[in-house]
Amino acid sequence: MIKSQYKSIGKNIQRRDVSGKIKGDSQFCADIELKDSISLKVLRSGRHHAVIENIDVAEAMKIPGVLKVFTARDIPGENLMGIINRDQPLLAHGKVRSKADPVALVAALTDDIALKALKAVDVTYTDLVPLLDIEDALAENAPKIHEKGNTLFTRRIIKGDAKTAFEDCHSIVEKQYKTLAIEHNYIEPDAGAGFVDEDGTLVIYASTQNPHYDHQEVVNMLGVEESRVRIIQAVTGGGFGSKLDLNVQGFIGLALYHLKRPVRYIYTREESYLATAKRHPFIIDMKTGTDKNGKLIAIKMRACCNTGAYGSYGIAVATRAAVHGTGPYQIEHVDLECSCVYTNLTFCGAMRGFGTPQAAFAHESQIDIHAQKLGIDPLEIRIINGLKKGSINGTGQKLTDSVGFHDCLKSVKPYYEKASKDWVKQKTSPFIKRGIGLGGMWYGIGNTGVQNPSTARIEIDLKGRVTLFTGCADIGQGSTTILSQIAAEVLGILPEQVRMVVGDTKLTANAGATSASRQTYISGNAVKDAAEKLASVLLTAGVNKLKVSKSMLEFKDHCIRVSGNPNKSVDFAWLAQRIHAKGGSLSWQGYFDPETIPFDPETGQGTPYSTYAFACQLAFVEADVLTGEVNVKKIVAAHDVGKAVHPENVIGQICGGIAMGVGFALMEEFEFGKTESMKDYHIPTCADMPEVIPIIVESDEPTGPFGAKGVGEPALIPTAPAILNALNNALGKRIYNLPANLERVLKASIESGHFSPK
Amino acid sequence: MVNIKFKINGQKKALNIHDDMTALAVIRSLLKLTGTKEGCGIGECGACTINVDGKAVNSCLMLGAQLDGTTVVTVEGLAAKDGLAPVQKAFIENHGVQCGFCTPGILMSVNALLQEIPDPGHEEISKTLAGNLCRCTGYSQIFTSVKEAARLAGQGDQHG
Repeated sequence: MIKSQYKSIGKNIQRRDVSGKIKGDSQFCADIELKDSISLKVLRSGRHHAVIENIDVAEAMKIPGVLKVFTARDIPGENLMGIINRDQPLLAHGKVRSKADPVALVAALTDDIALKALKAVDVTYTDLVPLLDIEDALAENAPKIHEKGNTLFTRRIIKGDAKTAFEDCHSIVEKQYKTLAIEHNYIEPDAGAGFVDEDGTLVIYASTQNPHYDHQEVVNMLGVEESRVRIIQAVTGGGFGSKLDLNVQGFIGLALYHLKRPVRYIYTREESYLATAKRHPFIIDMKTGTDKNGKLIAIKMRACCNTGAYGSYGIAVATRAAVHGTGPYQIEHVDLECSCVYTNLTFCGAMRGFGTPQAAFAHESQIDIHAQKLGIDPLEIRIINGLKKGSINGTGQKLTDSVGFHDCLKSVKPYYEKASKDWVKQKTSPFIKRGIGLGGMWYGIGNTGVQNPSTARIEIDLKGRVTLFTGCADIGQGSTTILSQIAAEVLGILPEQVRMVVGDTKLTANAGATSASRQTYISGNAVKDAAEKLASVLLTAGVNKLKVSKSMLEFKDHCIRVSGNPNKSVDFAWLAQRIHAKGGSLSWQGYFDPETIPFDPETGQGTPYSTYAFACQLAFVEADVLTGEVNVKKIVAAHDVGKAVHPENVIGQICGGIAMGVGFALMEEFEFGKTESMKDYHIPTCADMPEVIPIIVESDEPTGPFGAKGVGEPALIPTAPAILNALNNALGKRIYNLPANLERVLKASIESGHFSPK
Repeated sequence: MVNIKFKINGQKKALNIHDDMTALAVIRSLLKLTGTKEGCGIGECGACTINVDGKAVNSCLMLGAQLDGTTVVTVEGLAAKDGLAPVQKAFIENHGVQCGFCTPGILMSVNALLQEIPDPGHEEISKTLAGNLCRCTGYSQIFTSVKEAARLAGQGDQHG
């Protein structure tokens, strides 16, 4: 085995934040106790679509202990939010577009008083026609939910001539796939707290994936100077995309602005379910064609996602679904289209994979159907078509480096071949059917075809101590640990010697959102850039002291020394003092923005991402044909992450993604208006989990920090496709709608004649 | 209002509480022990798990009045003065923690399990933790952590 050249990269060091978390000391938003803090509660419309005729708060204001009832009129700045398109008011004005729309905000001394006041607010509505699904919203005379109409956005990706190419295809498969809304269901319900500090700054503690975006929105909403608002990311109990939108930050900001006293707002689980974003439900029509050898020639996709009342990340979801519609396969003729449509449901937004998991369900089903039709092995057809170095994807981008899809397939192959021979054929109860299935995936790292830079700052003090300042929100995935490893690697110190200041808009610069699996790659590069600048000035000072060239120096144990010679060294404190005395800077800023080329507006051709992650998962399932129960026994998961900066963290992402994928495949279904609490919505427990065999594939990305890409979302994407393909293998019947719940599995097994075994 | 006396994390407490107050509210709001979390309020997620007389209990489903006469341990009471409990060490070393919101509840479920069954098998761990939801980890590293905790505890690395 080759010994790694790295000291920190690739090491399973202790997580930065774990000590507080296992002792119960970590302060999540709901744990922050501000003296004499008051309570906030939102009145939500409770109706799908209506004009607000009048809001009367007089009775509510008479209740003792009620401090203020806010409505849209109390918002001093712009009453609109949205990271991509600004269409969502903090408090409804004019009309409401979903049952979750906030109409009034009550500030009171206690929760109980606030709840009482909600009941006393008298709102007069005139109901409008509710549009609950895509079909209704697109009907000819449908009322407009927003002024611009009900289609928010359409993304097209067109390459070659799919229409003509289909004429020459040997195998053509055309199917419709449907997926439903999914709740993120992080275990920490949304919460926040805030106070006004002695300088008059509104300080807001947030459970967030993007503190700098929150900051911008609150500043804009209040119409105040940027320095008047400070967002501090509290310890955050998961996000998975939902905490990219503001949850309570705007309400807290508004109350602080007017009342200038400490506030706290903790959503109940029920309010979190009702009011926060969901995964977009999709309808996908997909047509693919191959030659007689199974080579994919053409693809046509018409997909539509339901974004509910507001855009949130809907445009990004539709864009990702379109770009990733080909799957990790080279296809010459591409005609992909995905639209995003408003309805009167609670808004849908980002959730782990932004539409790619939905698209992957379609393309991975398609490729298996082709394999079956052509009598080609499912692994073989993926090998035939898989993207490799030099391949050109659907957007016309040539993939030049770090294309590890074939390595993922190769890693899974021994398990696949053995299972095909042994496990599938082993005798079970006559009512238990076994099957295996593959799921492939690719995923662009970072935001799609737009700038999405990160910045970081590193500082050394006169005692030689290094501090890294980053706006990158660690929501539990471990980015703070990863970034400390990257800085430490550059400076030859231990990761725990890097002091970390994270997610505080007063102290840190914008690192962009913790989303799109981008932080290791993009913020990692920004940190590396900052650390290298600091390293360079330290080296220059070292040259002056040690009288040898830079190339002969190395970083070691908080010192710079002549390579291999511990006696000729100088420590960081001396170097820092020297630099300072000479008027040099001890603080350096790093920056990275991945190279992308925006889409051509007509054809969608461009370079949407500078690098992609790849994966293949193999699922082993048992289906009980009498009950419809599906037991996922094992998942082998091979993921090309570029370079695993912290392998156990990568495994944690893979296993967590698979759990979410099992839920997406088999059990999760958020029914608007019906799913109210965790009694009605079931996420996988440990008893639902398969054995997971994670395989880390490292295909160095030259533009990544020490070769790293990302894994957060890729972990989830292939799981549901692999399970659904395995179910088809077990039952001899394919399911086209997710989740494959008991009813659907039972129906499939009845249709394929398994119900009465011979 | 009702008077209750109980022992929590080694300390005696005498409180006068509202009749309808949950044990979770007593612990979080009155005693300011915020390590115990509220994830759902209806006994589905297990984030509020505490140990009452050695048993794992969802504190959101328990009335504060029922604490009277009991001995309670919360996550803050797991560690001995001279260091972490085996279960805490095991979760750190085996990467059983991501966002950490479910962690206190899981640690308390495991703590009760190991007191009852010092060397639990996969099925016993699975049965115990099926009431503690985690959305981050996929449970795999949690299982490894629990097995390691049992091993450490068995070696005499006992709490206290």
